[in-house]
Amino acid sequence: MDIRFAERPPPEAPLLAVGMWRDGRPTPALAALDAGGGIMAAVAHSRFRGGEGEVLALAVPPGLAAGRVLLVGLGVESAFDDARAARLGGAVMAAALEAGGQRLSVCLDLDGNAAAHLALGMSLRLWRPPPDLRSRPAEDEWEPPEEVVIAAADPAAAAASWRRLDHLADGVLLARDLVAEPGNRLGPEDFADHALALPGLGCEVDILDEDAIGEEGLGLLAAVGRGSARPPRLVTVSWSGGGADAPVTALVGKGITFDTGGISLKRGDDMWEMKADMAGAAACLGAVRALAGMAAPVNVAAVLPLAENMPAGGAMRPGDVLYSCSGRTVEVTDTDAEGRLVLADAIAWAGARLAPARIIDIATLTGAVVTALGRHRAGLFTADNALAERLLRAGEAVDEPLWRLPLSDAHDEALTSEVADLRNAAWGRVPDALHAARFLQHFVPPRVAWAHLDIAGTALAEEDWALGPKGPTGFGVRLLAAACGAV
Amino acid sequence: MKITFAKPELPGEGSLVVGVLDGRVLTPTARQVDERTGGALTRAMKASRFKGGKDQTLEVVAPPEMGVSRVLLAGLGKAKEIDVLQAQNLGGNAVARLGRAGEDKLLSIAIDAIEGCSLAPAEFAAQVGFGARLGSYRFDKYRTKEKKEDKPSLKKIALLLADHADAKKLYQPLDAVAEGVFVTRDLVSEPANVIYPETLAREAERLSELGVEVEVFGEKQLRKMGFGALLAVGQGSERESQLVVMHWKGDKGGEAPTAFVGKGVTFDSGGISIKPSASMEDMKWDMGGAGVVVGLMRALAARKAKANVVGVVGLVENMPSGAAQRPGDVVTTLSGQTVEVINTDAEGRLVLADALWYTQDRFKPRFMVDLATLTGAILIALGDQHAGLFANDDALAERIAAAGSATGEKVWRFPLGDAYDKQIKSDIADMKNVGGREAGSITAAQFLQRFVNDVPWAHIDIAGVTWSKKDQPTVPKGATAFGVRLLDRLVAEHCEDD
Repeated sequence: MDIRFAERPPPEAPLLAVGMWRDGRPTPALAALDAGGGIMAAVAHSRFRGGEGEVLALAVPPGLAAGRVLLVGLGVESAFDDARAARLGGAVMAAALEAGGQRLSVCLDLDGNAAAHLALGMSLRLWRPPPDLRSRPAEDEWEPPEEVVIAAADPAAAAASWRRLDHLADGVLLARDLVAEPGNRLGPEDFADHALALPGLGCEVDILDEDAIGEEGLGLLAAVGRGSARPPRLVTVSWSGGGADAPVTALVGKGITFDTGGISLKRGDDMWEMKADMAGAAACLGAVRALAGMAAPVNVAAVLPLAENMPAGGAMRPGDVLYSCSGRTVEVTDTDAEGRLVLADAIAWAGARLAPARIIDIATLTGAVVTALGRHRAGLFTADNALAERLLRAGEAVDEPLWRLPLSDAHDEALTSEVADLRNAAWGRVPDALHAARFLQHFVPPRVAWAHLDIAGTALAEEDWALGPKGPTGFGVRLLAAACGAV
Repeated sequence: MKITFAKPELPGEGSLVVGVLDGRVLTPTARQVDERTGGALTRAMKASRFKGGKDQTLEVVAPPEMGVSRVLLAGLGKAKEIDVLQAQNLGGNAVARLGRAGEDKLLSIAIDAIEGCSLAPAEFAAQVGFGARLGSYRFDKYRTKEKKEDKPSLKKIALLLADHADAKKLYQPLDAVAEGVFVTRDLVSEPANVIYPETLAREAERLSELGVEVEVFGEKQLRKMGFGALLAVGQGSERESQLVVMHWKGDKGGEAPTAFVGKGVTFDSGGISIKPSASMEDMKWDMGGAGVVVGLMRALAARKAKANVVGVVGLVENMPSGAAQRPGDVVTTLSGQTVEVINTDAEGRLVLADALWYTQDRFKPRFMVDLATLTGAILIALGDQHAGLFANDDALAERIAAAGSATGEKVWRFPLGDAYDKQIKSDIADMKNVGGREAGSITAAQFLQRFVNDVPWAHIDIAGVTWSKKDQPTVPKGATAFGVRLLDRLVAEHCEDD
C-alpha cells in the first residue's frame, strides 16, 4: 500500500472518504462534494450521526466522479488530537477493506500532522498475521487498496511527519508479527535471529548464548530455559542516538517464546495463547526499531531475556533454589511464575552492564492484573513518581493507557522463603501482580529509576479494535517510544 | 477496659511502660526509672537487640523496691517521625504485651514531652489510649470453658502526664469512635444464626438511645415501595429482608445530609449459584459494609458530631431454596432499570442498587459513600493492604484517600469508564449482574454507578480488609471494622463546622 499526501486528492477515485462532525456539520471537502445535497439527504435517512469512528458507505450519488463515498464520523470538534486522528485512520481502513477498491482518496480536511497520524492508524489497522501461516488467503481477507492519497493542508509537512511515523508503524507491526508467530516457529534463537535481521538502522545487537548466560551468572534465566530443547538467549539491541554522554534507558522485555508453565503445568484450555508470552520482548524490540528508524536523539537498549518454559526431564522443579545474577538466591515455589525469574536476571544484568539511568520492564506477567484491570489498561508499578507521571502521560497520549498499582514492602512476607533469600510466588487467592512487582524490585540496582508494566491483559485483543484486528496489539511499542522521547 | 489520665507520678503497682527513642535514648521518665533501679534499664538494653526502634519492645522485671512488677520499654524510633498512627500502635502493642501476659491490676503508660516530636504530649497520650482501647478488643462470648488464667484480665490503663486534663478531653471523641468500632466488630463476628436481617435491624434500632432516628422497613413495605432487586436476593431465605435507615441530625443548619450505604448480606451461601464449601463460614461477614455503617452512626452519635448524616443498610440472607431466585431471572430494580441475574452469587450489587437509588432519591445527599464486601476480585487485585476505591468524583476520591492514610485504613483508587461498562451489557435486560472474571471489581462498581443518578458517589470494596488473619497492634485477629475510623474522619474533616 502506497500512501501519498496532496492538497486535493483525485476526486475520481473508486473510494472517497469525507468527514462530518458529531453536530451534523460537514467538513469543507464534504460540503464542496455535496453541492447537490444528495449525500446529506442520504444521511438524514440513516443512523449515521457523525460520532467518532462511525462510517456510512454510500453508493455513488448521481453526478459525482467517485465510485463510492465513505462518510466518516469525526466526533465532537473540540479536543481533536493525534490519537483520534490515528483511530479515524483505522476506521477508514476497516471500511475501505470491506468496500473494496484499488485506489482510496481521504479528504477529511486535516492539517499535516493529523493527516500523518491518520496514515499511521491506516497502516496499523491493515496488519494481519504472517501470510505464510496459510496455504491460501482466508475468505474474508480482503486486498488493501494499492494507492491511498490523503488530503492535507500542507502536504510537505504531512509527508515529513509520516516519514517518522512510518517507522513507528514498522515497530508496532514487527512486534505484532513476532507475537503472532507460533511457538514452533519462534524459539529463543529464532527471536534472536529476528533481532539480527533488523534493517541497517544503526542498532547494535549483542547475543549471549546458553554458555555465555552461564558465564555471566544469569542463573534464573538459565534455569527457566533448561526444560526446553531450545536453549535460552539474552539479546541486547542498542540504539545510541543521544551521543556518548546522554543517559541510557534500558527496556527489559519478558521473552518467554512459549510458556507451558513447566512442571507446574498450566491447564489445557487457552494454553495456545501462551505463544504470546514474549509480547514484552517484542514491544521492546519494536520500540527500539522505531526509535532507530526515526533517528531519535536518545540512548536506549532493549534487553531481552528469551527462553521457552517446558516440562522435561531436565526442567527446573518446584522447590529448586537458584542463584540469580544479582547474587540473591530464589526458591522456585511455582515454575509457572517464570517471567519474574528471567526479568529479575535481565534487570540486574542490565543494571550492572549498561549503567542505565532508568529501567522500564514490560511483561505479560500475571493473570492477577487481568482480574484487577481487565483488558483496557495495563498495570504500572514504580516507586518513582516522576517516571510514573511520564509513563502515565505517554500512555494517555498514544491510547495505551496505564493504571498505577501499589508497590509495597508489605508483600515481602508473601515472598519469604524458609530456605532461600526469596521465593518466587505465593499460592492461593493472593495479589500476585503486586507480589511479582515487589519481587522484581529486589533486583533493581540502587539509584536506578525503575518501572514495571504488566501487560498480560492488553497484549492480545479479543475482538477487532480501532487500530487492529483481533489478536496481537503491539501494546507498549508506541508507549515506550513516546516515553523515550519520540513523537 | 477503662482508659484514665493522671498526673505523672510513678505508680506503686501493676506494670509501667516508658518510652525510649532510637539509639537507646531514654525519655525523662525512663531515665528516672533507670536511676531508681540502679541502671537496670540500661543494663537490660545492652544485653538485648532493643535499640529503641519504632514498634520494638523490651520487658524488664522491676526490682521489688520499685512497687511496679514490670517495666516495658517501648521503642519510639526517631522523634521527628512519631505520628498519630505510631502512637496508636504503641498503645496497642503495650496491651498486647502486658494485658495478654497476665497483668491484671493496672497498666500505666508514661507520656513524656519529646523534643522534636510534632505531637504534643496531650495528643500523644490520647492517641496511645485510643490504640490501647482498640487493641484490647476480644470476641469471646462463645468460649464457655476458657480457663480464667487464659483470659485477658487487664481492667484499667492509666496514661501519666502533666497535661492529663487536656489529654482526657482529646480522648473523649476517640473513645466514642472506639465504641463504634467495637459495635461493628461485634456485628461482624457474630455468627449468622444470631445476626440475620431482623436481629441486625434490632441492633441498629438501639442507636435511638443516643438520639439517632431509626426506621426499619420489612418485606411488605419494601415490596410496595418497589425494592425488586433487594427482595429477589432475600427471597430464597426464611429470614425476612430488611432495610434500615438511620438519621443523625447533629447539624441544626438544615444542610443536605451526607449518606453512607452498607451491604448487609448476613450470610451469603451464593444462592443457587452456590459457593464451594471451603471457607464458606467466612460469609457470615458478608454484612461487613452494613456493620461499618451501624458502627459509624454509633460513633458519630456518641461523640455528638455536628453533622447531618444518613446511614442506610440493606439486609438480606442469600440462600438456595425452592423459592430462591434463579440464574437468568430478570428483576426490576427500584430505579425502574431491569437486571438479568446471571449469577446469584453477585447479589451484593443487587441489594446496593436499590439501597443507593433509594438514598439519593429520598435524601438528595451532598455525597454518598457505599461500603461492601463486594468482590473476590479485589483480593486478587489488592490483597489485604488496601481497600478498593471507586468514585465518580475526583475531589471526593481524594478526600477519602486522605482520610484513609490519616487513619491507617488505606484505600487504592481504580478506574471507571465506558470500556468497562460495556462488559455488563445484557442480551435481554438493561444490564446483567456480572461482567466476567476480568476487571471483576471494576465492573461491579460500574453496575453500582448506574444507580447513583450522578450524585457525587464513592464505593469502597472492603472484601479484602474486613477480616484480619493475624493480630495487628490496634486490630486483633478477626473483624477489623475497616471503614469506621476512615469515614468518621471524613465526616469530621468535611461535614462538620465548629
